[in-house]
Amino acid sequence: MKDERSMILLIGNPNVGKSVLFNRLTGGDAVVSNYPGTTVDYTKGTVLLDKKSYTVIDVPGAYSLEARDKAEEVCVKMLEANKNAIAVIVLDATRIERGLYIALETIERGLSAVVALNMIDSARDREISVDSSKLQKILGIPVVETSAVSGEGLKQLGDMIRKARPSNIKEIKERSEGKEIQPETGSKCPGCCGGCGGV
Amino acid sequence: MTLTEDERWALVDRISEQVIKSGTYKQSLGDVLGELTVKPLTGIPVAVGVLYAFWSVFGSFAGTLCTDGFFVKFFDNYFLPWIQSVWPNPDGILYFLFVGDPNATNCFEAFGVLTSGLFVAIGVVLPAVFIFYLMMALLEDSGYLPRLAVLVDTFLHKIGLHGYAIVPTILGLGCNVPAVTATRILETKKQRFMMMTLIALFIPCGAQLGVMIEVIPESIGYVMLFLIIGYFVFGYILSKIVPGENPEILIDVPPYHMPQRDNILKKLKMRTGGFLLNAVPFVLFGVLLVNLMYLFGFIQWLSDIMAPMFVTWFGLPKETAGPLVAAFLRKDLAVAQLSVIEMTQYQMISAVVLISIYFPCVATFVVMLKEGWKELLAAVAVLLSVAFIYGGIIHAVGIILGVA
Repeated sequence: MKDERSMILLIGNPNVGKSVLFNRLTGGDAVVSNYPGTTVDYTKGTVLLDKKSYTVIDVPGAYSLEARDKAEEVCVKMLEANKNAIAVIVLDATRIERGLYIALETIERGLSAVVALNMIDSARDREISVDSSKLQKILGIPVVETSAVSGEGLKQLGDMIRKARPSNIKEIKERSEGKEIQPETGSKCPGCCGGCGGV
Repeated sequence: MTLTEDERWALVDRISEQVIKSGTYKQSLGDVLGELTVKPLTGIPVAVGVLYAFWSVFGSFAGTLCTDGFFVKFFDNYFLPWIQSVWPNPDGILYFLFVGDPNATNCFEAFGVLTSGLFVAIGVVLPAVFIFYLMMALLEDSGYLPRLAVLVDTFLHKIGLHGYAIVPTILGLGCNVPAVTATRILETKKQRFMMMTLIALFIPCGAQLGVMIEVIPESIGYVMLFLIIGYFVFGYILSKIVPGENPEILIDVPPYHMPQRDNILKKLKMRTGGFLLNAVPFVLFGVLLVNLMYLFGFIQWLSDIMAPMFVTWFGLPKETAGPLVAAFLRKDLAVAQLSVIEMTQYQMISAVVLISIYFPCVATFVVMLKEGWKELLAAVAVLLSVAFIYGGIIHAVGIILGVA
């Protein structure tokens, strides 16, 4: 794969809306259904963000990177083949705790990442509130609230993809335990972690 | 630095605690429906209703409304007489290949590329796949499929399968190709192999169902019965003899969603378009190839060789060997071909069952090859033996019942 930095991988649990997001971003034809495991092979498309063209890959859903079925194997292979790609980690806002595992694994692998907190509208309907700026602070990567079906937050996600960055699992652990963020972490990415998530 | 699995889960918990606040839970309409459709007491009647509705809409739209109501009249009354009159030289080879029998009065019997080929593809199968994919998209997008899986789980466990097996199975009723790919969701090689083989064996595709509902409406119930019994019996046997593990599968049941109109239309367009582009040429090519094989005496030769097996073992007329060749290209075409062979109703039922199980169509064959050639070879061996054994059993049942 020629320029890996222009590669975007959509990663997350099955049935969190990766394919809808993929279709929204690329205008592509990934098949979307409401059951886990619709995408068992990857789908490729392109998106133009700020005059730069990116290849987007809709990766089959996985619960972890310890591949248990063939769809998860495809996901692990995609990650290994594209170590410099940008990972868009898609979380279902109504059940974040489930998707965080693979999110952390992806971060541990050192990929530049950004989180799409998808299905945020369903979360609101169910009165589940998610403190996305806190999540952003702890993870040290941009977090954007989206609803791929309605289109909410997609513009912001597009902007944030360019600000995707790797994070350090040790620091994430420390921040989750309430220790203050080391100043140099914040300055690596000016304006991206402090307040610009804006959400 | 990387974390151990436990440390990672602990971290997930700590982060979740800090960022998620749940309000009071209010039961929504979707939750109520969700409950009702998985609890056996209410869920089973709902499932029966859903499947029955699916089937009746399929039959009445594709069979009665489109095919009988429009295409049969159009093809038999206008198109066939017209092409028979304008195509020159009824005794020529080209006439035989493209128009078929000059004395045919309907498009099933003519068997030319432009008569039967077009009629089967456009007049019979197109409406069938269209309505099937429309209803399929509704089932997929609403979130009903995984609930059906939960509902049948206990039941399927008794025969060594899993509830989730129902998802590729139902997808297979549309087309076996995506169904074979969908088996990837299963965890072990054994499960994937079993599912792939069972789909190729016992799940007729939408195109085939469309032709069946048109040409053998009075027997289709029995054909389905034999296929369903075969699915369970051979599923059970396979789960016992195929080596490997059959671990529990955990299914994630998503909340119900209102299907999005745009997504439904998009899928419908993609799949129906896929049929027009990929399958229609196959049907036409299939008719051409079969006609050529007739012309060169190949079918006759094959029928003669196969005659002992067909007549004594399966209890079928030896002419059924011809459709069996066509079945490799398209099963819908093969069923259409069977319909014009002189035989009893019971013979017709066993012939259609055999067509379904003996070998996958070429598209399914290719996608099975993608899952691994060893698996494909093993599957083909299973397919041929099952077709042989089951065909004999069906014949025996017929003899016992006195209908063969």
